[in-house]
Amino acid sequence: MTIVIEAASGKRNKLRQRLSELNVPLVLLLTMIAGAGVLALYSVSDGNWNPYAMPHGLRFSLAMLVMVGIGITPLKFWLSVAYPAYFGTFFLLLLVPVIGDTNMGAQRWLSLGGFQLQPSELMKIALVLALARYYHGLEFKQVSTITGLIIPLAMIGAPVGLVFLQPDLGTAILLGLSGAVVLLLAGISWRLVTLGVIAGVGGAIGGVQSGLIKAYQWERITAFLNPDADPLGANYHPNQAKTAIGSGGIDGKGYMQGTQTQLDFLPEMHTDFIFAILGEEFGLYGALVLLGLYLGVFFTTLQIAMSAKSHFGRLLSLGIAVTFVSYVLINTGMVMGLAPVVGVPLPLVSYGGTVMLSMMAGFGLVMSTWIDRNQDTLRTTGFGG
Amino acid sequence: MRVEPFDTSRHMEFTRRATVVTGGVMGLFGGIAYRLYDLQVRRHGDFKALADENQFNTRLITPLRGDIYDRYGEVVANNVPDFRVLVVPERTDDLKATLMKLAADTTLDLPPEKIASILEKARRQRSFLPILVADKLDWDTYASVNFHSTTLRGIVSEIGASRAYAEDAGAAFVVGYVGSATSDDISRARETAANEEDAGKAELLYRQPGFKVGKAGLERTFDKDLQGASGSVKVQVNAHGRVIKTYAENAVQPVQGAPIGLTIDKELQATTLKVLADDYGEYPDEALGPHPVSASAVVMDIITGDVIVMASTPAFDPNVFSRGIESKLWKELNDSPLKPLLNKPVAGTYPPGSTFKLLTAIAAQEKGISADQRYFCNGSFRFGGRTATCWKQEGHGWVDMKGSIKHSCDVYYWNLATQLDIDDIAKVAERFGLGQTYDLGIGAEADGIVPSRAWKRAYYRNDPPNQTWFPGETLSVAIGQGAVTASPLQLAVMSARIATHKKVMPRLVRAMGSELITQPVFEDLPGKAQHMNAVRDGMNAVVNEWGTAARSSLQPDFLMAGKTGTSQVVGLRRDPKTGRRLKNEEIPWQYRDHALFVAFAPYDNPRYACSVVVEHGGSGSKAAGPRARDIMRAVLEKDPSNYDKHRFWSGERGETQGPLEVASLGGQP
Repeated sequence: MTIVIEAASGKRNKLRQRLSELNVPLVLLLTMIAGAGVLALYSVSDGNWNPYAMPHGLRFSLAMLVMVGIGITPLKFWLSVAYPAYFGTFFLLLLVPVIGDTNMGAQRWLSLGGFQLQPSELMKIALVLALARYYHGLEFKQVSTITGLIIPLAMIGAPVGLVFLQPDLGTAILLGLSGAVVLLLAGISWRLVTLGVIAGVGGAIGGVQSGLIKAYQWERITAFLNPDADPLGANYHPNQAKTAIGSGGIDGKGYMQGTQTQLDFLPEMHTDFIFAILGEEFGLYGALVLLGLYLGVFFTTLQIAMSAKSHFGRLLSLGIAVTFVSYVLINTGMVMGLAPVVGVPLPLVSYGGTVMLSMMAGFGLVMSTWIDRNQDTLRTTGFGG
Repeated sequence: MRVEPFDTSRHMEFTRRATVVTGGVMGLFGGIAYRLYDLQVRRHGDFKALADENQFNTRLITPLRGDIYDRYGEVVANNVPDFRVLVVPERTDDLKATLMKLAADTTLDLPPEKIASILEKARRQRSFLPILVADKLDWDTYASVNFHSTTLRGIVSEIGASRAYAEDAGAAFVVGYVGSATSDDISRARETAANEEDAGKAELLYRQPGFKVGKAGLERTFDKDLQGASGSVKVQVNAHGRVIKTYAENAVQPVQGAPIGLTIDKELQATTLKVLADDYGEYPDEALGPHPVSASAVVMDIITGDVIVMASTPAFDPNVFSRGIESKLWKELNDSPLKPLLNKPVAGTYPPGSTFKLLTAIAAQEKGISADQRYFCNGSFRFGGRTATCWKQEGHGWVDMKGSIKHSCDVYYWNLATQLDIDDIAKVAERFGLGQTYDLGIGAEADGIVPSRAWKRAYYRNDPPNQTWFPGETLSVAIGQGAVTASPLQLAVMSARIATHKKVMPRLVRAMGSELITQPVFEDLPGKAQHMNAVRDGMNAVVNEWGTAARSSLQPDFLMAGKTGTSQVVGLRRDPKTGRRLKNEEIPWQYRDHALFVAFAPYDNPRYACSVVVEHGGSGSKAAGPRARDIMRAVLEKDPSNYDKHRFWSGERGETQGPLEVASLGGQP
């Protein structure tokens, strides 16, 4: 009896202890970013909590709980479930074409009970998790060998291909990028990196040539290179977003005073183009503060990665950090006409549940790495084990 | 094989790679930050302008069209509130679906053809320009559209102004009507604009739904004056074009077009129209309907030249034309033998018949033939081996000039014609107003024909053998037959010039804007004034001394001088068996004689001149004279100098005295 009680109380103590070890700056930074999202969404709906601002805040609170839950779970548990998580998510991805919902010409969504899930977003975390797991168990000298490359390339290629076929070009690119960054961090030779870049560019050109990339995607891609063409079609959104941000100036037009956004010149701005409203209403200062917060998250996570003794934890944390900032970079680049419009949200700010959940789950893994940063040896099983 | 978990070499490589990745991330963030600087600082001005262009819009405010008044300031044409529905194609998700939904959800009558025509129009113009869906709606329909417009993106209901014409004013032929601008109208407006900016503004204005341009009559001639100047107001709009805020303090108010004051007397015009359309017994049995009257009348003030009445019947309602006429009604109007679309007072030309004898009489006096010179009429006249018969087959006996006018003796004028050259007659006819137009501003004026040697040469320029003038033709022209034709307006001018011996010029507009147009002073006509005396005496005798229009006398109230005219449309119709001359009522309507009457009054102090033409009315003394009498009575009674005789002033307005019963006294037709 006493032993059980002791064990139980020990578990509680351990929980309490892990909770106290949470990385507070990371929690604060993420909360501030989500707060910026609530602010922007409140403005988008003409000063109403509904339909966006309130659910966004609630979702973030829920996602924060998920993050803390994942964070206080030992890192070695995540190591052990890395492959099952990957395969589970892959299975969900396979289900999308079978039972998924079609939205704007692409199948991306799974309806699970009351809410909709985008398995491709979960896959970004699962992929990084699985790759980190793989390299954790791989000898360094094997990293750049053919045998050492086949499995990670397959792990990346399979979900990227599936997502691309949905078709969701933006997520496919991000997914491939996340995986590639983990490969890079794992230390594959620069020769292979160069080859990979060439193959990527060649693949993109081939995709266009062979018609694998759909007409509307191609239009959007070419549109950003020539912003004056088709101002009411493919370039409407980027041009209006640029106008919104540019007209915001240094100080911005003031909260809820953005004419571009408040007068609907930029429709659907609660999702991918939300950066425009911040840029318009809060100006250069506001935009830089938000970018600073994102960079802050990156550096905090970088510091966590560097402090971690396990290779799994390091790859996992930095992989997630890079995935996170690639969202930011592609989204802001897209909103400001530097990148094609590929449908990438601004993480934690854009309205949308799955991305928030998957990113916060990712940071849960980062948090777990932080708490278990001093564990250098993790029990490994499976591939390469 | 178990991997050494803590592998120093891969840790060190990770650190290096992490540094590279961090460098890349920072570089990219730097790029984004630079882009922000580029957009928000360097190019801020450009984007500010773009954002303003988005949200601020200059809305054109359509000016009200100038009102048109009659000589007493009574409204003839003005603007009335108009409930209408527009669609802005750009704002609809699907124009066709929106229109179908509009038709289904509301009580608005929107047949498929109408939808098709809107779609067609949408294809031809820029999509942000609104298109009129329906106008002149009643309140219930308007309310129904209003109620549903929130669910119909792009459908706009508004209260505009539309042109309205006074009913019963017979405004159509004088004022004309307005209609939507056609692409021709728009390109004309662009061409006349001073510069490209004005051209653009004009086009925008012309494309405003509900904006109308003059299509006929004064509305057309004075379109630019009536149009006014458009205003503008800066508004803030959202992406759907909905006005969020109006900056009224900086608005440029539109300026209503200049009002036009007509010389027309609306009341007399209405009276005249009624008189013209009334049955004066000229159609005893009729297959064409109860009142197949196709007639016109002109009344002028001979001192000022003001056209007080210019009426044509049957007339159409210009309100229908302004609204956009349906092709079925158009066809009906176009095909009617009564020619309701013809502006008969100015565009109808008729052989003047015996009214022309007045001019032949003047020409004869100028040729040295005395008014006292008498000729014997035995009912027929032999000329060039042929015999022509006077309208009175038993003959008039000895007639002088006065008598010839009074009785309208044909033989007398044939006698004159043998001594006159056609060019002598033509010269007089032109001097007295025939063969020319007066540019009243309503267009459609016909020249008519004053035959002369030069005219015939020009007319047969491709047929030289026919160019020679034959004396026999002069005989026809002398009694107003043959090639000679004149419009009612010209006949009224002729009458006015005979009454005054001045070069009276008719006019229709007496005030433009707030300015009265200077009253013209008419110069004396060449020729001797005393030559008029015999003619005027004759005209007085026609009406007041038991002449051909005795039944048209206005005695004892007024002395009206006039002249009847009955002009043949085709040659004499005779019964094929007996050779008997057929009466008018025995031949089809369209072959019957035109009935004409010209008059001036009062005889002793002329003020008004008048002409009446009743197409196929049969006889001038029966169909035209009595109408002129009733019109002139109304005109004279309204003249301020006739207060004592004026029932208008004694409160008995509206009652017209019946035709004077003189037929039993043996008056001539």
